[in-house]
Amino acid sequence: MKKIKGFLLIGIIISILITSLIITTAVEMTAEEIINKRDNNEYFDTAQMEAEMIIVSGNRKIIKTMVALTDKKNSFVEFTNPQDRGTKFLKREDDLWMFFPDAEEIIKISGHMLNQGMMGSDFSYQDVMEADKLTDLYDFKIIGEEEFEGRPCYILEGIAREGVKVSYYRRVSWIDKERFIGLKEELYAESGRVLKETRVNEVQEIEGRWVPINSVMENKLRKDTYTEFIITLIKFNLEIPEETFSLQNLR
Amino acid sequence: MIMKKYFNIIILFVIFFLLSAISISAKIDIGGELTASLINIIDNEGNISAYPQVSLDLELYIPPFDNNQIKSAVYLYTNPTTAQLDFMFKKLYLKHKFEKLHLTLGRQPISWSFGSMLNPVDFTLGAMVMDEETGAKYQNAIEAYIPLNWNTSISAIAAFPEASQDIKWGLRGRTMIEGYDLTLNYVREPEIYFMGTIIPASQRIGFTVKGDLGPIGVYGALGYYFKENDDSDLAYLIGGDYSYFFEAGNKIYFQLEYLSMKKENLSSILGPFFAGNIPNNLNENIGLILGMANYEIDEFSQVNLMTISSVNDGSIIIIPGYRNQLSNNLSLDLSAAIYFGKEDSLFGPTVSEGAQPKPKGMISVGLTYSF
Repeated sequence: MKKIKGFLLIGIIISILITSLIITTAVEMTAEEIINKRDNNEYFDTAQMEAEMIIVSGNRKIIKTMVALTDKKNSFVEFTNPQDRGTKFLKREDDLWMFFPDAEEIIKISGHMLNQGMMGSDFSYQDVMEADKLTDLYDFKIIGEEEFEGRPCYILEGIAREGVKVSYYRRVSWIDKERFIGLKEELYAESGRVLKETRVNEVQEIEGRWVPINSVMENKLRKDTYTEFIITLIKFNLEIPEETFSLQNLR
Repeated sequence: MIMKKYFNIIILFVIFFLLSAISISAKIDIGGELTASLINIIDNEGNISAYPQVSLDLELYIPPFDNNQIKSAVYLYTNPTTAQLDFMFKKLYLKHKFEKLHLTLGRQPISWSFGSMLNPVDFTLGAMVMDEETGAKYQNAIEAYIPLNWNTSISAIAAFPEASQDIKWGLRGRTMIEGYDLTLNYVREPEIYFMGTIIPASQRIGFTVKGDLGPIGVYGALGYYFKENDDSDLAYLIGGDYSYFFEAGNKIYFQLEYLSMKKENLSSILGPFFAGNIPNNLNENIGLILGMANYEIDEFSQVNLMTISSVNDGSIIIIPGYRNQLSNNLSLDLSAAIYFGKEDSLFGPTVSEGAQPKPKGMISVGLTYSF
């Protein structure tokens, strides 16, 4: 009987140890590991997407639709709604080019325009066309844990790396502990002022990864305005011809 | 010359032949813009004459097939001089993308804009004026475009101007160095017969640059104009743009540029923004300062102010504007142009006998529906 009690005790201790070890491993994920997992989930080699932007201000709203192609460094966007049909953008690293469909001309857009609202939306060109991994741009640390919309989340703070060009000096991200997807993000200026807040309304598992298919960007500097970004179709890791991201393809 | 005469007919025939070859399942779509405006012209006595103007931009969207692209766009409008409905083909062309060459044949827009408000080295001077396109942009032409890498290309154009028996042709090279977009171009204008006068053949070489200097966008152009047995002209343009964000998140965008050139080339560059003749009392060289400020009130509306002023005589055109996106497809535009200056100055009232009188101002209100 004593032997059985002894084995039971050892079994309980081992179970506790194993459970603690698992919990400790989970809890002790570093900020870098978390953000890497997020990057691996949200970033891809190539993607093709169809999306719509709903720009809302007070009681008024307008809808813009687009198709986009992106690889690790470059993005190509073409608008398809009647008012902007045929307007195309090409972003290669920090350079942005725009094709005006009526005039059929390609103009290099000044660098200061990259941080401005894309076609009147609250998403900047950089927000929509950014292809870099967050870990290449920011140093992250864990600053807390919290439930967001019923999902347990890590709260991470990212500060822009020295010498790296970014739109937001600081970003605070709520990252889903199970799906490693950013559910909420606050974007700050260097002065400490919050510029924008983005929230994910809907995620879907597509081709083995969790994708935010409906998200909202709110410009915190303006009242009663936000932009909803809805992905209507997305395909990953397609073969995109090299000349897709060229000026000749804008024409 | 036979080719020039039958140019449009040949293009139409080729396009109809290719269209008949496309599968009927191909998705062909029609879109465009319908604009209704009321334009009020104020003369120097303060009299206002108003006339309505309706225009329809209609484009046929044909999906590309077998490396071919067909574009067709027609502009229907009420002609302000005859008050009759008139039309102009903006696009009626066929483009074929060979492996190392894109060939475009037909009526097409040709513009070498690089982001400036005026362009002294465009393929056709005055094709884009103060961010507005003009009819001068649309040419019956053949264009060969050779991409060398993602940002470098060479294009050659042979155009057939309606007012000339000869071919107008041009060459343009484009590349990017250290983040700067660079172009070098050459244009040979043929002898043109215009309203009973002959404008002699001319040539020009142009160079443009556009890039960033820190937070400011900068650009410039250099143009060398020359004719046989005539004086040459070295024109130049420098400019920059900048965005400033207010605490409340609103943005103001500024653009400022300076253009220097001989007065004889100026009227073609200013296009419809310059209704009068160049006064004889002005210096040979004219300097213009152009400014633009665009303020976004909110996501849907913006106000802007443009000015063109002559350094030589202080005359100025002020062009305020307001745009409001009323709904997904409907927008409202208000604009005005007010001319200030002494008599016989560049933008002031004209007193010279026989010269076309300039208006004192113009106010326009319009609604545009996109579909």
